[in-house]
Amino acid sequence: MGNLLEVENIHTFIGQFHILEGVNLEVPEDSITVLLGRNGAGKTTTLKSILGLTPPREGQVVYDGHAIQGRRSFDIAAMGIGFVPEHRAIFRDLSVLENLKIAERKKGDLARKEEFIFNLFPDLKRLIKLSGMNLSGGQQQMLAVARALVPDNKLLLIDEPSEGLAPVIIEQMMEAIRQLSKNTTVLLVEQNFLMASRLAERYVIIEEGQSVKQGLMADLVDDTATIHRYLGAA
Amino acid sequence: MNVLSTFKKNRTQLITLAVLAFLFVTAVQGMETKDWVITVLRGLSVGMVTFLVASGLSLIFGLMDVLNLAHGEMFMLGAYVGWTVFVRPDTFVDVLPPLLLLIVGLALTPVWRALLTRTNISGRVAQLWPWAALALAIAILAFTFVEFPITKWNPEVYSESPITFSLALDQGNLIMPEPKPFAASPFVSILGTLIGGSLVAIAFAGFGQRKQAGTMSQHIPRGSIVTAVILLILALAAFWGNDSLTEALVNIGTTGRFFLAMAVATIVGFIIGGVMETTMIRPLYDRPMYQLMITLGISFIVIEVVRAIWGRPEFTMPKAALFTGRGDACPAQNIGDLIANQCSTVILFDGRIRTYNEIFIILVGFVVLFAVWLLLQRTRIGMIIRAGVQDSEMVEALGINVRQVFTFVFALGVGLASLGGVLAAPSIGLSTVMGGQFLLLALIALAIGGLTSFPGAAAGAILVGLLQQFIIKYGQIGINIPFLEEPFKPSPPLVPASVVLLMVIILLILPNGLFGRNE
Repeated sequence: MGNLLEVENIHTFIGQFHILEGVNLEVPEDSITVLLGRNGAGKTTTLKSILGLTPPREGQVVYDGHAIQGRRSFDIAAMGIGFVPEHRAIFRDLSVLENLKIAERKKGDLARKEEFIFNLFPDLKRLIKLSGMNLSGGQQQMLAVARALVPDNKLLLIDEPSEGLAPVIIEQMMEAIRQLSKNTTVLLVEQNFLMASRLAERYVIIEEGQSVKQGLMADLVDDTATIHRYLGAA
Repeated sequence: MNVLSTFKKNRTQLITLAVLAFLFVTAVQGMETKDWVITVLRGLSVGMVTFLVASGLSLIFGLMDVLNLAHGEMFMLGAYVGWTVFVRPDTFVDVLPPLLLLIVGLALTPVWRALLTRTNISGRVAQLWPWAALALAIAILAFTFVEFPITKWNPEVYSESPITFSLALDQGNLIMPEPKPFAASPFVSILGTLIGGSLVAIAFAGFGQRKQAGTMSQHIPRGSIVTAVILLILALAAFWGNDSLTEALVNIGTTGRFFLAMAVATIVGFIIGGVMETTMIRPLYDRPMYQLMITLGISFIVIEVVRAIWGRPEFTMPKAALFTGRGDACPAQNIGDLIANQCSTVILFDGRIRTYNEIFIILVGFVVLFAVWLLLQRTRIGMIIRAGVQDSEMVEALGINVRQVFTFVFALGVGLASLGGVLAAPSIGLSTVMGGQFLLLALIALAIGGLTSFPGAAAGAILVGLLQQFIIKYGQIGINIPFLEEPFKPSPPLVPASVVLLMVIILLILPNGLFGRNE
């Protein structure tokens, strides 16, 4: 099992703030890897740096054998990386259908994936004509994930999918991510340790802009010392 | 349940709209039918011209957060370009070949960029050679581009000034001056301009390469070669067919030429907008303040260039034959007669309505409104624009080259403003201050309607137009106010003041404007 994504010692600045001070991580193909860490540790910036939205100033990002750092975001995304941002950033002025259609990279992408997407999120089919701003929080989150599934993506970057959702919806979301990870590699940011530990096979802990520990989730679950040190009470 | 909750959510907005509608009905009630019909039509007419400026401004601001202060000057430039095509087609034909040849060179920029990625220049040489190429290009162009003979007016001499040609066209005795011959060899000018333009393109490709080394594709875009070849053929055709092309443009008559003028002004605006975005706005997306300053600077430069070419004095633009019929059947009694006789005026509800000012402008305005709405709602690029207005970073993260869409929207916005200029010119005349006036109106309209909302831009512009015209009309007939002996007549300074007052009141009630949303 090779690595689909390798991040080597990236440093990212936002304005004059040094946000990432050396992040290393590996994402093996066909796995779910979760980024853990406290608020403000740099998890979201790591995702954005991979995608070039906040381009790293130093270091290397190797995706599928290509060094992609320094390329424009749309170029990177077009290589097969889907992004589900935090706060359910769907397009509020677009209908559910348009929110899905805009993600097409080739004509007919949506037609091919329709069945799979509506199997994961049956609710969306019913809401297809509704405008994005009229959806509930859970529905918006489902749409944001569904949008990333429309094109043929090999890697999904998902930022805090459970944030602010009701427990029932979180269960549904977890099931959906488990389903879609059967044919897509996933790199996940998740504050909810319980959810993270049930989903992910691998973890990376980020602390103050640096990756401090990574390994198999199964090992971390029993390692209460590490959990306490980096993640607080879990 | 849905209707009720929608009502609750937008209560303030709905009440404001209701109050506005009530005020409108009251204002209409105070007038005789013929007075309010003409006032509403005039208001719509001014509103539509304002809308053409405001819509582009709003799209550009919404999508890329750039407040284009040069937008008014693009409106003005459209008017002057349109006037040139309309009144002096010979000058227009003379200008075509050198400009097209220059654009041929620039259109090849992507090709040069692709070729440059295959070379391997580095160090000091890589930093300096684009500047050297640029200097060489300017030197070549200085000797060849200016050699093209352009027969034009002379603002310094009254008998050759734009106003004289406008009057002559209006009276039907326009005679173009004799075309100037080539001073030097035309072959040298053509070749020199082509080489100069290409060198500019190579220089820009070089500047770009330094910044984005290693990330550019080596693929040679075929589209830009095809474009360049087509433009080259057009340029050469315009060059060798100069006389017959001028004659053809004179012979199609004023109506045909006016529609051509609208098309040319829009295209010129579109190209200027595209060039402006790629060369001046794009490098400054990280520095909004500099962007604001550069658009302000461009507006000053455009005003001075227009003054240098067309002169300082204001002048008029005659109306096309389609709108100036004066036969026996005129003024027309109904729309059927109007179309049959092409009358300059039509009698509606006992009031005299000018065909161009009060009907044609509104028609074109609605056509553009509808077309842009279709573009936004029914096409993929429209979908991308609407999404980008909310979150352009996310659009980029979907794998869409948002910068290309930025360029298109900027070009489209400037093109619309330019169209507005040529549309307004026969009604309000040409002057170098017209841009500033309409930019201000457009900004007020946007503040009223909601800065980034397209329906808001339309509603705000129409509201601004209507309010002004109602105040003007009431200034003539007076408002009967109880307990006052004399009817109250709003004085002319109240016209601009009323618009600002409306803006203040609406912003106090709805801080995001009528259709704006709290982002």
